Amino acid sequence: MKSKQKIDLVARDLTNEVHEANFIGAKMKSERRYAALGRDYADPDKLRETAGLVKQHTLEHLDKYLEQAEASFERNGAKVHFAFDEDTAKKTVLNIMNEHGCKSMVKSKSMLTEELELLHYLEDQGKEVIETDLGEFILQIDNDHPSHIVTPIVHKNRRGIAKSFEREGLGDYNDDPETITRRARAHLRQKYLDADIGLTGANFVSAESGRIVLVTNEGNARFCMAANKVHIAIVGIEKIVPTDQDLGLFLNLIGRSGTGQQLTVYNQFIGGPKLKDQPNGPEHMHVIFVDNRRTEVLASDCREILRCIRCGACLNVCPIYRQSGGHAYRSVYPGPVGAVLSPLLAGNRFPELADLPKASSLCGACNEVCPVNIPIPDLLLRLRDKAKREGAKEAMKGTPNLAMWATMCSQPTMWKAALTMGHTMNHIPTQLIPHPSAMSWQGTRKLPKFEGGEFRKWFKNRK
Amino acid sequence: MSLLHTPPNRPTGKSVQLMTTCLCDAFYSDVAKATVEILDFLGCEIELPDGQTCCGQPAFNAGDWANSRKVIRHAEKTFSGDKPIIVPSGSCAAMIFHGALLAFEKEEDLPAIKAFGERTWELVDYIVYGLGITQWPGKFDAKMTFHRSCHLRGSRSPEAVNALLTSIEGVDLQPIDEVEQCCGFGGTFSVSFPNISEKMGELKIENLTACKPDVVAAGDMGCMMHFGGMMDKQGMPYKRMHIAQVLRDSLKNAGKL
Amino acid sequence: MSSDREKIFSAIRAALDPLPKRTAKPEWKRELIVCNPSGEFSSLKEQLADKLVFASSRYCDSFDQLAETLKAENSTFGYCDPELAPLFEKLDGITFETEYDVAKVNEYTFGITKASAAIAESGTIVLKDGDTSSRMGALTPWIHIAAIKESDIVATIPEAIDRFGDDPSIVFCTGPSKTADVEGILIEGVHGPGIQIGFILS
Repeated sequence: MKSKQKIDLVARDLTNEVHEANFIGAKMKSERRYAALGRDYADPDKLRETAGLVKQHTLEHLDKYLEQAEASFERNGAKVHFAFDEDTAKKTVLNIMNEHGCKSMVKSKSMLTEELELLHYLEDQGKEVIETDLGEFILQIDNDHPSHIVTPIVHKNRRGIAKSFEREGLGDYNDDPETITRRARAHLRQKYLDADIGLTGANFVSAESGRIVLVTNEGNARFCMAANKVHIAIVGIEKIVPTDQDLGLFLNLIGRSGTGQQLTVYNQFIGGPKLKDQPNGPEHMHVIFVDNRRTEVLASDCREILRCIRCGACLNVCPIYRQSGGHAYRSVYPGPVGAVLSPLLAGNRFPELADLPKASSLCGACNEVCPVNIPIPDLLLRLRDKAKREGAKEAMKGTPNLAMWATMCSQPTMWKAALTMGHTMNHIPTQLIPHPSAMSWQGTRKLPKFEGGEFRKWFKNRK
Repeated sequence: MSLLHTPPNRPTGKSVQLMTTCLCDAFYSDVAKATVEILDFLGCEIELPDGQTCCGQPAFNAGDWANSRKVIRHAEKTFSGDKPIIVPSGSCAAMIFHGALLAFEKEEDLPAIKAFGERTWELVDYIVYGLGITQWPGKFDAKMTFHRSCHLRGSRSPEAVNALLTSIEGVDLQPIDEVEQCCGFGGTFSVSFPNISEKMGELKIENLTACKPDVVAAGDMGCMMHFGGMMDKQGMPYKRMHIAQVLRDSLKNAGKL
Repeated sequence: MSSDREKIFSAIRAALDPLPKRTAKPEWKRELIVCNPSGEFSSLKEQLADKLVFASSRYCDSFDQLAETLKAENSTFGYCDPELAPLFEKLDGITFETEYDVAKVNEYTFGITKASAAIAESGTIVLKDGDTSSRMGALTPWIHIAAIKESDIVATIPEAIDRFGDDPSIVFCTGPSKTADVEGILIEGVHGPGIQIGFILS
């Protein structure tokens, strides 16, 4: 079917193979989520509500907590840096590498580094950078982008991956997932040993104790802090929570919400360089707090989106994401969270992504599964209003003009007249109704019969 | 698993105002009639404000909040007073007690709009939690599936519907797969995202009809207009009923109406 | 020109100043996040054993059994924390080194290190830098054996967090290293251990 909306067209034109991969992957994770939370808690909503309030509280006192986090990290012997924008963030990483004489980096998965396109920047500066998360590694060799926050290559299948491995000299064609994993294990092991710096993101930061928390299943973040001497943690300022005990709340939610695991396999709590007696691990820890428009989001009426803990539950449950896949969102963050966050983080490129908030039936499933209870549909609506007020064309494409309708609906006489006149529509063959909405509608659906005014007449005459 | 959005302490008396909804006013008059007949049966005194049109949701969802506010303001004035307002639609009800508050968050007349929302009930929510009726004395021999429309989230309507339907003699209410998934209507969404909307509709129809029910029921005519229109286009035989029609017909079957 | 630090702090304050009121921190009790107990257990040790298996780890409390497991996995040479060596030297047919040599990263097929604690509700092994003789020894071999003192088993995650102290690197291990990146198919042993064993020292 014809459509003016980009995401709708991507969904229409997706190959069956990719559509199936996206759809089944998302549905499976959603089902596991419901099962895990239902099994383990009598009232999971109470956890979601509390976690949401803890994060909202932290955001609304961010100046205080960021300052506390900075002091705690410094007390722990970590060096703290601040980067207001993308450019400074990248340069800060480069400067740290140069300062320590580092040439090659192993990095674990971080959505913030995707935002910054850090990998390409460092490569352009002559550094070697290796993504170590299996999915991210595959994306790196394919020069592709993640389509999901948690499972970045959900859009790929084993045959494509096997071909990429063959091309990269990682062995003959073999599409057995276990073989693929073993080959990556062997290949990346050497990279960890050769690298002189490890870079991670952070899922959470405890302001109280000055610890970053990393949540992984593969153990790659552990390895990024075992064989090398320097560790950089690059962190969005919204990742802070007040105390170590608060972390328990989030760790219990993130695994269950994202993949249906009670806990993700590895939860690492890193506060400073290794101990003196520990033979392995970084002697230097650098924490870079990055804004990159987060304070703009904080100032907006969509600040609740900064609560997001990147579990991916809203993607998995979203019927639109399930049809379109993550790449349709044309930005780092896909799905419902991306439809809010990406246009906001785009700054003055907001109009280019103003159609993202329209890619929702406002069904609310995203809010229902969100571990921090973000009112995503409300935020999508606020952005629709913003797009309309600012005349963002991408947003309004395909949306009927409702000015006439509003006039009719605020004048009862007009409304009643229209109700009766509507009956004439029953006598026109529906395909001749010259309204674009009706034309689009009746391609796949039968229009209902007009019965305008009948009920009112009946009501007046009853008994 | 959803946190409540419904306002606390809504009025519960039996003297009510009925909001027909624009869809029932224009297309589905029998749903409106059924609503009146069951409210009559429950002993309610019904006022039907004549100036009523629409709740303003189409423009609200489309992002055209200025035009939406125009319609909401009209609705608020039309439904003056302090009686409970009963709506046979979870979507329109949620628009009034939740959506309108967003549209008016920077407006001076927010308090009036808020008060409007604080009187508004989705029909079945009102019957069960407003009037305290948990057993429905009807009879309806049918295997049935129910589409839990999305805008019933954040309310106790889904529990209410479940309680009433399962209490009706003869009703065999079958669970459906992926109950949390949207049918793909979403108002103007179905027009501007026609391909995704259709795919969502297909999946919903598949789940709703997997058990070969006698009746597919829903609490919102918006959803039903969309997936029902698809079913009609494909010539699918399943009977579709609004929950109000099920409740009304069950009373007729039991000889109580 | 102001520093990035100042820019960020002033942008935060400018964003928050207009808020009419700010969200208070909710009071929440530890019980909120404690898992529904599934099954009846007479001791934390018994619960831990059950939950380790639930998390795809293995439970072991006998040296003979451990030796059997290692042999069955063809894993007879590894690394062991020097302080634990006297205990594990009695493993029949198994040899190890007590100093981790990076050159042998692919030769060590098991690693034995101390666990600082274990969490019964989730089957989690807690490794702290201060108790871990070698990060590499706990991470790189195919099999990791975490030696847990029975008295170090705690019931819940909040209790484990209570014991963080000022250790700079704490790891919760709940199961073996795994991925489902390729078509959602679960594969164990990506970068870390493919087999995680919790060994209880009574």
